[in-house]
Amino acid sequence: MALAKEAYRELEEVVGKEYISDDPALLDCYRYPLSHTAIHIGPYYRVYTPRGAAVLLPGSAEEVQGIVKVCNKYKVKFKPSSTFWSAWGFPLEDDTIQLDMRRMDKILEIDDKNNYAVVEPHVIGATLQAEAMKVGLNTHIHGPGASCSCLASATALGGLGPDTLYMGHHNENLLGVEWVMPDGEILKIGSVGSGLGWFCCDGPGPSLKGLVRGMVGTNGAMGVFTKCAIKLYPWPGPATLPVEGKPPAYKAVLPDNLRAYTLGFPSWKAWADSCYMIFDSGIGYVAHRQFNMFGRDLKGAMVRILSDPTRTLSDIEELLKDPEVQKMTEDMKRDYQIVLAGMTPGDIEWQDKALDKILEETGGWKVKAMLEPDLFNWSLLYMIRLGHKNLNLVFGGGYDGCFGLGGTPDFGTSGEPARVEQVTAFKVEWEKKGNVVACGGDGMMGGIGGMGGGGHSLWENFTHFDPADKASTEGTFEFFNATAKYGAEKGLGPGMEKMNDYARWTDGYTTPKEIRDRILGSAAQPEAFRYQRKFKETFNPNDLGDGYYRTLDDPDE
Amino acid sequence: MALEDYKADMERCSQCSYCKWIPFDQVKSWRFAKGCPSIAYNNFLSYSARGRYAVALSLLNGQSTYSDRVVDIVYKCTTCGSCDVSDKICRYNLEPLEMIHELKFRLVEDGQVLPQHTALIEHLRKENNMMEKPAAGRGDWAEGLDIKRVPGESAEVLFHAGCRFSYDEELQETARTAVTILKNAGVDIGIMGENEPCCGGRAYDMGYKEEFTRLAENTIKAWTAAGVKTVVTPCADCYHAFNRLYPPLGAKFEILHTVQYYDRLIKEGKLKFSKTVPMRVTYHDPCHLGRRGEPYVPWEGKEKKIKNQIVIYEPKKPRYNGAWGVYDPPRDVLKSIPGIELVEMERIREYAWCCGAGGGTRETYPDFSNWTATERIEEAKATGAEAIVSACPWCEMNFKDAINTSGDKMKVFDVTNLVKQAI
Amino acid sequence: MALKDELAGIVGSECVSDDPEALDAYSKDLSFVKPVKPRLIIKPGSADEVQAIVRWANQTATPLVPVSSGPPRFRGDTVPSVPGAVIVDMSGMKKIMRIDRRNRVAMIEPGVTYTELQPELAKEGLRLTTPLLPRAGKSVVASLLEREPTLIPRQLWASLDPLRCNEIIWGDGNKLVTGDAGNWTSMEDAWERKQAPAGATGPGQADFYRFVSAAQGSMGIVTWASVKCEILPAPHKLFIVPARKPDDLFDFTYRLLKFRFADELLLINNSSLAYILGDGPGGIKALMKELPPWVVLVGIAGRSILPEERVAYQEKDIADIAGKSGLKLESAVPGARGDDVLKALLSTSREPYWKLGYKAGYQDILFITTLNRTPEYIKTVKSVAEASGYPTSDIGVYVQPLHQGANVHCEFILPFDRDDSKEATGMQQLLTKASEKLIEQGAFFSRPYGIWADMAYKRDAQTTTVLKKLKGIFDPNNVMNPGKLCF
Ligand SMILES: Cc1cc2nc3c(=O)[nH]c(=O)nc-3n(C[C@H](O)[C@H](O)[C@H](O)COP(=O)(O)OP(=O)(O)OC[C@H]3O[C@@H](n4cnc5c(N)ncnc54)[C@H](O)[C@@H]3O)c2cc1C
Ligand code: SF4
Ligand code: SF4
Repeated sequence: MALAKEAYRELEEVVGKEYISDDPALLDCYRYPLSHTAIHIGPYYRVYTPRGAAVLLPGSAEEVQGIVKVCNKYKVKFKPSSTFWSAWGFPLEDDTIQLDMRRMDKILEIDDKNNYAVVEPHVIGATLQAEAMKVGLNTHIHGPGASCSCLASATALGGLGPDTLYMGHHNENLLGVEWVMPDGEILKIGSVGSGLGWFCCDGPGPSLKGLVRGMVGTNGAMGVFTKCAIKLYPWPGPATLPVEGKPPAYKAVLPDNLRAYTLGFPSWKAWADSCYMIFDSGIGYVAHRQFNMFGRDLKGAMVRILSDPTRTLSDIEELLKDPEVQKMTEDMKRDYQIVLAGMTPGDIEWQDKALDKILEETGGWKVKAMLEPDLFNWSLLYMIRLGHKNLNLVFGGGYDGCFGLGGTPDFGTSGEPARVEQVTAFKVEWEKKGNVVACGGDGMMGGIGGMGGGGHSLWENFTHFDPADKASTEGTFEFFNATAKYGAEKGLGPGMEKMNDYARWTDGYTTPKEIRDRILGSAAQPEAFRYQRKFKETFNPNDLGDGYYRTLDDPDE
Repeated sequence: MALEDYKADMERCSQCSYCKWIPFDQVKSWRFAKGCPSIAYNNFLSYSARGRYAVALSLLNGQSTYSDRVVDIVYKCTTCGSCDVSDKICRYNLEPLEMIHELKFRLVEDGQVLPQHTALIEHLRKENNMMEKPAAGRGDWAEGLDIKRVPGESAEVLFHAGCRFSYDEELQETARTAVTILKNAGVDIGIMGENEPCCGGRAYDMGYKEEFTRLAENTIKAWTAAGVKTVVTPCADCYHAFNRLYPPLGAKFEILHTVQYYDRLIKEGKLKFSKTVPMRVTYHDPCHLGRRGEPYVPWEGKEKKIKNQIVIYEPKKPRYNGAWGVYDPPRDVLKSIPGIELVEMERIREYAWCCGAGGGTRETYPDFSNWTATERIEEAKATGAEAIVSACPWCEMNFKDAINTSGDKMKVFDVTNLVKQAI
Repeated sequence: MALKDELAGIVGSECVSDDPEALDAYSKDLSFVKPVKPRLIIKPGSADEVQAIVRWANQTATPLVPVSSGPPRFRGDTVPSVPGAVIVDMSGMKKIMRIDRRNRVAMIEPGVTYTELQPELAKEGLRLTTPLLPRAGKSVVASLLEREPTLIPRQLWASLDPLRCNEIIWGDGNKLVTGDAGNWTSMEDAWERKQAPAGATGPGQADFYRFVSAAQGSMGIVTWASVKCEILPAPHKLFIVPARKPDDLFDFTYRLLKFRFADELLLINNSSLAYILGDGPGGIKALMKELPPWVVLVGIAGRSILPEERVAYQEKDIADIAGKSGLKLESAVPGARGDDVLKALLSTSREPYWKLGYKAGYQDILFITTLNRTPEYIKTVKSVAEASGYPTSDIGVYVQPLHQGANVHCEFILPFDRDDSKEATGMQQLLTKASEKLIEQGAFFSRPYGIWADMAYKRDAQTTTVLKKLKGIFDPNNVMNPGKLCF
């Protein structure tokens, strides 16, 4: 649906002619194909998110405010996105305008004493990390990796990843935010609101941070975040990463106080025990079950391919026959990666000893093959920069996570047989149907610490498919229907595969109200969504966000 | 291949945005992290490889039709290939740069062309060069040089100057120097003078595939007739055309860039330096010599799936991801010149920032092209170098133009210029 | 009396009191906040009762003032701002509902005090990091809800750590469980599946528990909370790094924070340390003189895995780091031994409260800032004190790094004789003047008690507007401690 001419003209006045377009082909670049990835719905073959009414590229908070005011005047929905790596950032309705935040891309400040950075929306993990490293600091880079917006993951969506054990969940790293509210007012939360700097996000009094940022964030459905402050962490390494090697097999030979290991364990119980001991000891800089995203059976071969510039996926089958790769794969069956970062020689020595002690007590081991210098340096760089996360999609171009054994390490690994094995066996059966990549059923990947200091581990079972292949896409969807049902029956908690069903439906548009109400109403605490409805009514009176914001009517309404 | 053949790629592109940046492992600063000049300048998502996939798909699906914007999106791309390198950090079954070319080809086929390009191509057809100059003057650059003329005379090595070196008066001297250096080092070398054809590479990058094929076939014929075995060229564009685009058409020549030849001669002790060139320089990798300068590997095969849904190719398909471009020879040459201190920019080798002259953008979008070059000059300045050295006349010109506009003090050289100073 | 009966109907008559002495005790505290007498005190025993009380308050438009800790109280937050209020005394809800050693969480009711909790945790090999010498009757939940600073900055990933999940009865009478626990229909079932209420955020897209934090009871009442514990340390040492000026300690402190070395980590001046360690006014006075003007207290603990080795390398490395700043890591300084300080830090305060040991009253001034800015504030407080004739040598300063070093809690402790009306008036003036200056200078009164509320909200009109709207959502009838903050 076209935007009213006057509205377009007024928007054009706000951002300038150069930074607005409603060309249909251009708008189609701002549609997300629901056939292929971690949007936690579908996949729906050849279904796209709705075409927006226009795309705007604002250059400042004032421009964003101007846009939001025009939107309020004409009751036009708007959807901001910073780096666009998921369907969450795309419209749910035809007449929405898309805000592409990429022109606001500055690192406004790095305070290397008090360890925080102030950034605009289009600062990404890689650039902030590179700048932080120059002053001996590092930033949390969340799971989807270095390409993603630091601001988006701190304020609006997701925010946990391999380094969460040490660097926290990004919502906790948020020290202040500038928010163009859906009604067009600007709120600065925390100390910055009082004009006192960006060091504290709570207060005065009750913390308004709670309004913008809960577990998952408001997904671009409640206004626009134009600046935020993010807590930084120490980087006991060189000012720039000394990267060598040929693409894509880059490696970094880093000082001896930075070490990357892949740990293997004889049982899931031992695996979980090790997690708890790691939490208790406080060791570890990055800890994640990362390479298992390629699947239990394929990860050894994939590690070999990715770390060697002469190899391609065509080498998988040959590698799988290689006894050394087989041994490595077996050693890595129940595994995770860990990076230790010693702040002093004494620190790294102790951490490594503590790790050995943990391995001794749990019967675990450092996977030998991953200690070869090339793999060691490759995985070290990989885990620190997290610059290869589009490997999620390496096999066929489609992936989504299912199940999602989120919670304590004991949760996923206990049961008879262990829950992780239950869902593996379930997936293996479906892999036999041929629609998803046969990887051994266990593509469980996720953090060892799902929150700062540990306490959680969070897994999703990676499922790979080909979004350009109807049978594969539809077969995957069927599989996800089955996993959702199985998960519900077994009390595994909400599966990732259907996480966004409440918001976006099979046609790519807003989920019909009765379905949405049923989904949200069956949550453990529908009350939370009733409060969120009140937040929406209060702060977004013209309802210019979208269905990603979870709201429920009162029971009697 | 046709655009339709890339439809699966379009549907498999995962919108990760890697194609906008240099490979993330290589990011050293906020300032110089971008890889794709097109999106960096134009901002809308459509001006990236990912966006071009989406535009192509939209057109193929009939969801949109040609518009000025579409034409702008398709042609405002330098075909530098940065996207291709970054994409392939994680993707093993996508070919964004190939698709970008196919998209340009399709627009040309459908008559969706830019007037500046049409004029250039018209002229190319008539006068055999990309410089809008008369064909007759192509050999003038070598006037007075004591060099064999092919095909009249036979030579072991053919020196192909390329359009810009042949016609650009500012740069002709470099071509003369290059061929003389090689000759003096004992290379049995000849030139084709006014008979030298245009390589067609720039036409190819602009989307004129047919034109390219015609030129390539003529060239191959002419070289074959003249008994040419080895071709050396000082132009990265020509190098790329001969090295990558000609072999599929049946060409079987040894192709070298002058920097490779110098490197070889230096290592064989046939090219020696007697003078010191006290200068701090930085080297700019031309896209066509670097990431797009990987050798052609013949392959014919088809897509296949293993493990149900892993997309591979049978037989194993060569992977062009920038790993095997020409990066060390120019650096080795520079490092062997006494007095030269080579300092590297942040974006180098396979992830170098483009000079902005490629893909027909210099001719049609001067502001964009100039901005792209200026960005590179800024990066060069950040190294503290007093000169930026390249191995391609197109890069050199674009840098010079950018410097003229901005009034910068940075000097611009071809590797050949510095080699000459040291002899 | 009908009112009493109505409430007795909810909690039982033994849990409703209108004893004048008790009412009098709740009508004031040791702050300058104006006394207002409550009408009744009730002591609920369960969340259901709390919910019923709040619903009743909404029906009857009765102000409720929730209180969890025992006396003495200092900040005016539990003194009703309006007449006719009912004190909801949560101190009877004392259950330690669960201690989960493996996941290191404890689930407790708001009446549980530090004194009660620590021994129970110790039995499981755990402990909970505390504020600086909490008073014996201090409710753990209340302390954490009010965002009181705790002593181990490296463990503070979240600004509200170690507080995690909460069950909240909002001002509108609705109940919500926050954090991980909010995603489960039954805690029993969750425990069964080996889950634990360890994650603080959510449920949904808001962080509901932040709305009750530093709210002074104005948003709702928490009926249980889970807290993240640490492993009971052993060995555990405390070192003292003395200096003449606070600035001299900054590089060292910043470095430890950055490296996440040390456990307890705080900067404190001689007066504050004397208030902690000294015995009686005379002893304190003498100690002030003896102690170094400034110290950083550095706790180093070993826990579970190679504990001795950890303590050993940290001790060595921290000493090296100190050396680089020209400082020394000491196990004792004149007037204080590390062991004694540690013992104090690991305990609750002596009765009635350590800040009352020197004089019969004290006023504190507390706010959030960054470490490097603290000297400006110290200067300001000193100069205002000087101008008011307050003995500057009595000013206690306590700087507690928080949130892994992103900011610090900066606190001034100003003992004075409450019974001397001249001193009291002087202090009241000093408080106002100093606070005004501090806020102007950049002090962030994130927990704005008493007079600070007006000052803080005046600086941030948009936050005030949004907070009021939020309050309207959770407590539409403004029954929860009305008159506090900006409500
Ligand atoms: C393959 C894949 C893997 C993933 N893995 C993880 C993971 O391991 N851990 C994890 O936490 N998440 C994960 N996610 C989800 C992830 O959090 C989001 O996709 C990620 O944050 C996207 O980041 P982005 O920078 O692309 O943000 P965007 O796409 O720009 O936006 C993300 C969301 O934030 C909103 N938003 C963006 N900018 C603004 C702004 N300025 N103001 C207001 N709202 C805004 C958008 O509307 C959108 O809803 C994954 C997603 C994918 C596709
Ligand atoms: S890098 Fe490749 S997969 Fe990623 S968005 Fe660009 S073209 Fe698509
Ligand atoms: S070829 Fe260069 S300009 Fe074109 S899309 Fe790729 S990176 Fe951008």
